[in-house]
Amino acid sequence: MHERDIDRRTFVRSTGATAGALALAGCAGFGADDSDENGADDSTGDDELPTPAFPEVEDPPDAVYLPTHRESMRVLEPVEAGDYTLAPMLSYPHPFWLVTGSGGEDGVQRVDPEQSGGVHLMFVVWDEETNVVLPVDTGAEIAVSLDGERVGSPQSAWPMISQEMGFHFGDNVPLEEEGTYAIEVEIPPLSVRTTGDLEGRFTESATATFEFEYDREFMLEVTDGVEYLDEAEWGEPGALEPMAHGAHADDEHGDGDGDDGDHDHDGDGHGDEHDHGDHDHHAAIPYSALPPAEAYPGTHLEPVDDSNESSSRDDGGPEADDLPRSGDAAFVATLLESDSRLADGEDYYVLVSPRTPYNRVPLADMSLRAAVERDGETVTDDATLEQTIDGEYDLHYGTSLADVRSGDSVAIQIESPPQVARHQGYETAFLEMPPIELRVP
Amino acid sequence: MTLPDRSALSRRDYLRSLVAVGGASALAACTSEGDDVEIPSGTDDPDSLPERQHAWNDALTRDDDGNVRPPEHHVLVALSLVDDPTDEARERVEAALQELERAYEWSNEGLLFTLGYTPAYFDRFDGSLPDEVDLPEPRAVIGHVDAFDEFDALLHLASDHSQVVLEAEEGLFGEADEFNGQEIETDLMDVFERVDDHRRTGFVGPGLPAEHTDISGVPDSVPEDAPFFMGFRSGFAESQATEDRVTIEDGPFAGATTQHVESMTIQLRTWLEQDSHYQRVAKMFSPEHADEDLTGDIGEALGGSSGLTDERIEATESDARGGVVGHAQKAARAREDGDPLLLRRDFNTVDGDTPGLHFLSLQAGIEEFVRVREAMEGDDLDAPNANNGIRSYIFPNQRGNYLVPPRSLRALPAAAPDEA
Repeated sequence: MHERDIDRRTFVRSTGATAGALALAGCAGFGADDSDENGADDSTGDDELPTPAFPEVEDPPDAVYLPTHRESMRVLEPVEAGDYTLAPMLSYPHPFWLVTGSGGEDGVQRVDPEQSGGVHLMFVVWDEETNVVLPVDTGAEIAVSLDGERVGSPQSAWPMISQEMGFHFGDNVPLEEEGTYAIEVEIPPLSVRTTGDLEGRFTESATATFEFEYDREFMLEVTDGVEYLDEAEWGEPGALEPMAHGAHADDEHGDGDGDDGDHDHDGDGHGDEHDHGDHDHHAAIPYSALPPAEAYPGTHLEPVDDSNESSSRDDGGPEADDLPRSGDAAFVATLLESDSRLADGEDYYVLVSPRTPYNRVPLADMSLRAAVERDGETVTDDATLEQTIDGEYDLHYGTSLADVRSGDSVAIQIESPPQVARHQGYETAFLEMPPIELRVP
Repeated sequence: MTLPDRSALSRRDYLRSLVAVGGASALAACTSEGDDVEIPSGTDDPDSLPERQHAWNDALTRDDDGNVRPPEHHVLVALSLVDDPTDEARERVEAALQELERAYEWSNEGLLFTLGYTPAYFDRFDGSLPDEVDLPEPRAVIGHVDAFDEFDALLHLASDHSQVVLEAEEGLFGEADEFNGQEIETDLMDVFERVDDHRRTGFVGPGLPAEHTDISGVPDSVPEDAPFFMGFRSGFAESQATEDRVTIEDGPFAGATTQHVESMTIQLRTWLEQDSHYQRVAKMFSPEHADEDLTGDIGEALGGSSGLTDERIEATESDARGGVVGHAQKAARAREDGDPLLLRRDFNTVDGDTPGLHFLSLQAGIEEFVRVREAMEGDDLDAPNANNGIRSYIFPNQRGNYLVPPRSLRALPAAAPDEA
């Protein structure tokens, strides 16, 4: 167990009082034209809807930190589309952060909802056969309809990471009125290298459609479900547990109060432990957790003393603590022998798997390079590590190398941090990412 | 179709809406709005006009930076032949077009137009198009599109005056009696039918997009001065091919050009409300443009050039590895010896009450369009979709390829004119 894992029941107890007050801090009405014109204080009139507050965390660390609250959402029935399976989730519109480029100040943009009416639409896409969540920006396209009429223009879904949901796609979608909305998601072919059981799959685009009711009941449900953490915890290093993916696809909001199974998800919760549930008739939704470091074969590369962040940290839980870090991301790096199915011919294969430090969420859409030195001489200069999704090792960056041996030093250069949008608690981490110096033991 | 509500719109917005709606009643409404406008008349001497239908640049004005200023109003009239072409029909088409040229000055103050023909049109002839003409059937090129232009011809009407494009269109199809005060003698009605489903309209010019914020999907944050929906200038002189470059030089169609029309919707809400100016500049031009703040608010700081040096173009791949790459930078990779291949005459639209763009491009052959479009898409680059130029904000839904013959062959040309 990670010592930093959060016992959610504690938060429920300690924040019960504040949650109610904060949750009613904002209001939204349907058909805003005839409301809020009287200059009165925000009130919760019959046609107005509460939206949860989104408190600021002052001076958050440049690392993964505990956000102010656990989000609440409605989880819909998973939909199959071609090779893909997709689980839609809906919450209230809320801020998130976009990342563009180097992760410098200008490249990180907080996005606030333009209006309070609407939803934060999310979906997790995975492969039913391997339960691997597909964590890369494929350019999924969303079209919204109300009563058969298109609403607004099509939009691309942002790839995002959140502590509770791991990797998913999403965006705030403004909705003007109550009704039954249909969402069409077109997922193009996967553009990254696939290996193992995923090889040769996801080559066709597929379209999934689902419907949901957007009404007062929905807004109340997702608002009531928000759980605020004790303010003293806000901004502290740490992460919320992955949400309970018992998360049953029905009207019960998936993030209820200390119901079942949270303990299943705080330790070694790789995807395959979440499924084939004994829960009920609903398919379980995998959480995008990578395998723990010890699940990777080969010769694990070791941090060179004092060169990485890992040695100065002691708050990352036992596993992450042993791993080299950069920008608070933990890196599993291993050298597979030439008999590995991932290696070309007689070459070795360097597999680098960056992940979030607590929940092992894969960090997708990075650019990495590796250089190998032996006795101060360059052996391999500047090898591109190709983003790959493997049926067993999931998302990683890898390349075949002809010449690498014990004692060599391996430098991993991070050309770009993960170009994925972030929910609160991840937006200050995985941005400035210095190189990692490793050694082949 | 019902006319827009005059009282709810500014005058300019009202005129734009009338162009979008089209038809005789829109023309009437438009004419009563434009009473005070004097439209210069054209010429009785067809030979005084350029042999190339696409020779527009000399008839247009330029801004202070030397960029050609496109006409404000555009209509693309989709046409389907009533019967197979005959010499009589050819004479009729030519006569009708010459009437337009007589009535309106060949300029942005009058009327500029081209008549182009699809591969489907040429299929009806026994002969095939000469080797010099590269005009394949349209295909998706990138991603997928829902529809292809499979009708016969496309009339592109352009003017700074909305009533001119409407009057020209309606007059050619019996819905108006006069072209600029001159009685109409010949129309196109026995030769062509309009394909209403494929009629497209649009506009370009400073401030025009900002007047469309009443349309769902056009946020209030469209910059006031922006000539295009996405908020930046386009058509920089230095990124445009010359008319010479896009002209077919040899063979029976010497003086022609090929035209591609890619229609797309644009996701402006996320582009303008979510991305920062820095991110928009990085994605539209290059990350270096953003880092060094080269563009100004709407690209005005760039003057007559998109600011793409050889270094910036060559840096495209490594910029992509850095996480973000610019649209203009990607497209410029397809230049040949530094020369752009496409002459863009694109314009914004609110057809379907959705913000969009009709990307109309002229080039010597369609293969060149495909090459540039693929470079623009940048599938070869390592940047993730959302940061790979503007590709995650645009949604192409229709494409068509056309041959725009020289003026002398603009009336129902045979596929092999020499043999006709």
